[in-house]
Amino acid sequence: MTSASLDFDIGSELRAELRRWRKRALAVGLLGAALCAAGFLRAPFQFFRSYLWSYLFVVGLSAGSLAWLMLQYVTGGAWGVVIRRPCEAAARTLPLVALMFLPIIVGIPNLYQWSHPKIVAADEILQHKHAYLNVPFFLVRAAAYLGGWLLLSWFFNRWSAAEDRDGPGPASRKLAALAGPGLLFWGFSVTFMAIDWVLSLDPKWFSTIFGMMFMAGQALSAMAFLIALMALLSFRRPMSEILTPRHLHDLGKFLLALVMVWAYFSFSQFLIIWSANLPSEIPWYLARMRGGWQYVGLALVFGHFALPFALLLSRDLKRNFKLLAGIAVFVLFMRLVDLYWLVAPGFLRGSFGLSWLDFAAPAGVFGLWLAYFLTQLEKRPLMPLHDPHLREALEHGRE
Amino acid sequence: MADDTQLADPPRDVIAPGYTFGSITDQIAAVVLTKRTPVFWMACFSVGFGLLLLFLWAVAMLLAKGVGIWGIRTPVMWGFAITNFVWWIGIGHAGTLISAILLLLNQRWRNSINRFAEAMTLFAVACAGMFPLLHLGRPWLFYWLFPLPNSMGVMPNFRSPLVWDVFAVSTYATVSLLFWYVGLMPDLATLRDRAGNRIARLVYGVMALGWRGSARHWSVYETASLLLAGLATPLVLSVHTVVSFDFTIAIVPGWHSTFFPPYFVAGAIYSGFAMVLALAIPVRSVYGLQGLITGKHLENAAKVMLATGLIVAYAYILETFTAWYSGDVFEQAAIWHRMTGPYAFSYWALITCNILLPQALWFKRVRTSPVALFISSIFVLVGMWLERYVIIVSSLAQDFMNSSWGIFHATRWDWATYLGTIGMFLFLFFLFIRLLPMISIFEVRTLLPQAKVEKESRP
Repeated sequence: MTSASLDFDIGSELRAELRRWRKRALAVGLLGAALCAAGFLRAPFQFFRSYLWSYLFVVGLSAGSLAWLMLQYVTGGAWGVVIRRPCEAAARTLPLVALMFLPIIVGIPNLYQWSHPKIVAADEILQHKHAYLNVPFFLVRAAAYLGGWLLLSWFFNRWSAAEDRDGPGPASRKLAALAGPGLLFWGFSVTFMAIDWVLSLDPKWFSTIFGMMFMAGQALSAMAFLIALMALLSFRRPMSEILTPRHLHDLGKFLLALVMVWAYFSFSQFLIIWSANLPSEIPWYLARMRGGWQYVGLALVFGHFALPFALLLSRDLKRNFKLLAGIAVFVLFMRLVDLYWLVAPGFLRGSFGLSWLDFAAPAGVFGLWLAYFLTQLEKRPLMPLHDPHLREALEHGRE
Repeated sequence: MADDTQLADPPRDVIAPGYTFGSITDQIAAVVLTKRTPVFWMACFSVGFGLLLLFLWAVAMLLAKGVGIWGIRTPVMWGFAITNFVWWIGIGHAGTLISAILLLLNQRWRNSINRFAEAMTLFAVACAGMFPLLHLGRPWLFYWLFPLPNSMGVMPNFRSPLVWDVFAVSTYATVSLLFWYVGLMPDLATLRDRAGNRIARLVYGVMALGWRGSARHWSVYETASLLLAGLATPLVLSVHTVVSFDFTIAIVPGWHSTFFPPYFVAGAIYSGFAMVLALAIPVRSVYGLQGLITGKHLENAAKVMLATGLIVAYAYILETFTAWYSGDVFEQAAIWHRMTGPYAFSYWALITCNILLPQALWFKRVRTSPVALFISSIFVLVGMWLERYVIIVSSLAQDFMNSSWGIFHATRWDWATYLGTIGMFLFLFFLFIRLLPMISIFEVRTLLPQAKVEKESRP
């Protein structure tokens, strides 16, 4: 099988199906957005809280996909070729993601205690942190993260289009050369993003592994999303002729590895803080282990780790498109629960609470994001035409 | 082997062109089955043996006089012993990563370096094990560490990471030994069949445990090595994670940091790959093995070093930032003492060796030059030792109350014991090179293009 004999353009059946999905996503997104608007007027505090973790979810999908895109350039090899185009499309949603940051800016006084001069003036530690935790610098940093990702996404998409047009050549080399430094930027930006947007919700708390947990979380969200998408694409041309269980098997292994990495980071943090039991650290966990939140935590232990871990050990399951996609969707749902568990308990000390906005906000944000993503996905052939590993990737699937 | 389809497209440059099944066996077996021993081997072995004698002397003195001959004084009771323990055990990790994780990931370039990397793991773990044992003060009572209901009814404290260490390290040593030995069996049989000397034939024959190379043997062998790889994989993470808990579970400033587990694992792999390069580069040129351990291997190892080195650099940056961000005066003081206090020289030397110099690995010219790689890996080994030294000694020397501060000075017995284990490592490693095939003969054969032809001609 040679690459020349294959047509990578989206077939008419698939195009119709993608449009149907886009219509549904748009409907859910608009409904959610309308409810969010109502929530903003009626209960602004609740709106911003629900919006923050919903927003972090789509940031994870976009920036995480960008990271996978760069990782497959760095490592080379066949596994990454089939997900290159979806990753590129997800990276192209970053302008929308940047736009979606605007409500957070409006919500700073509602979300972050350190933005109130009175609270800061009364607290010595917050005064110490003021050099870092202040609104102008917060905005500058957010602009740097989002701007950096946008820039990376722009270069990777531009050079990838050049590669499609002119064949392998300088563009392929530029893609590989930028990927390493790009991953480095991603690591640092996600770390400080996690500190700024989530960790600083509790301005006294700190944990050095927090940034790594968000890196693992973003990579996991993005991989679960990509697997679900690949399964959807695999039933129609052109992917029905390209994608084989072997490709999915590779991606399933990544899903398993990241489920384990997430659990490893989370458990390390928990064990270290629990055993030390220091007054500066333990309140963060106490807020998440009482008043009903402990059941959410246990749900994470089982749903975010034990269940997908046990299932994904099976080789047959990783090679079954529908089953693997089912687990991927479940993992995506658990990612939402995890973000909810990280963000919400800080506001509701001592008691579990779930608002209708906790359903409206993720629906709105993810629905709009998905509709935009599908628009982007349609724009280019579903496989990179001149990837240096394309032949290897096609043969890789044929046992 | 584990994966048939990979054979369809063998990596072109992990083995030099022109090799045949026979010539691979000849070349690797000849290193062992010859009466002539290279001068290089004699020199390295003598150095190792000399330092091993130094080690025995230092241990004898230690047992006769007690741990007081070391520089450990309150408050720095961990000193060199734990520094060396963490350093050695970290070096071992690269061997397990290469043999287990890269096997599961179908990275076939590992086939040429896994044997001696695993041997390196075993010897490094042996050296590492010396230190906690000797540090006990009364090493003959070491079995008290195990949960044996002894005569006084005392059980170890299961909440102490020091007890977790006992389990983690002993499991690690056992699995590594099994994995290495199982991998050796087919090659031991090859040596048995080729040895001219009767005693050698007998010894290799007994060690080969009756391996005849039947299809049944191979099928069982493949299953066993995959299972052992599966068992060894979590150990790459768990051992150094538990070692990092020795620090983080305590609340000493500069130790109690939540990212220590992944940061320690990355540092372990970093130093381990440095040791792999430091051993492979001279050995392959002395024995003319450049066709089997090619530039591709060195470059891949250099890339792993660069990636793990960047994780370590990330850790230093975040550690400093978080100390400031926490607003905790003790955390801030711990970092400040490291940078400007009595151990400032070690700290900045470690930053230079571990972060600044290895950035040269970004350049392909450095990654493809064996000499440059050898030099960088020596720097990394020194840097990773300094890292553990700074973490352990500076945090203990200056903690919460300045009335209880105290500075650690290493004595000559500290140095003698440390250099002694380096001698023990070299001694064992060069013995291994002389007596056992340092490259896996049968696994390297699967890298040949001929292996592919054979597969396709099968019905």
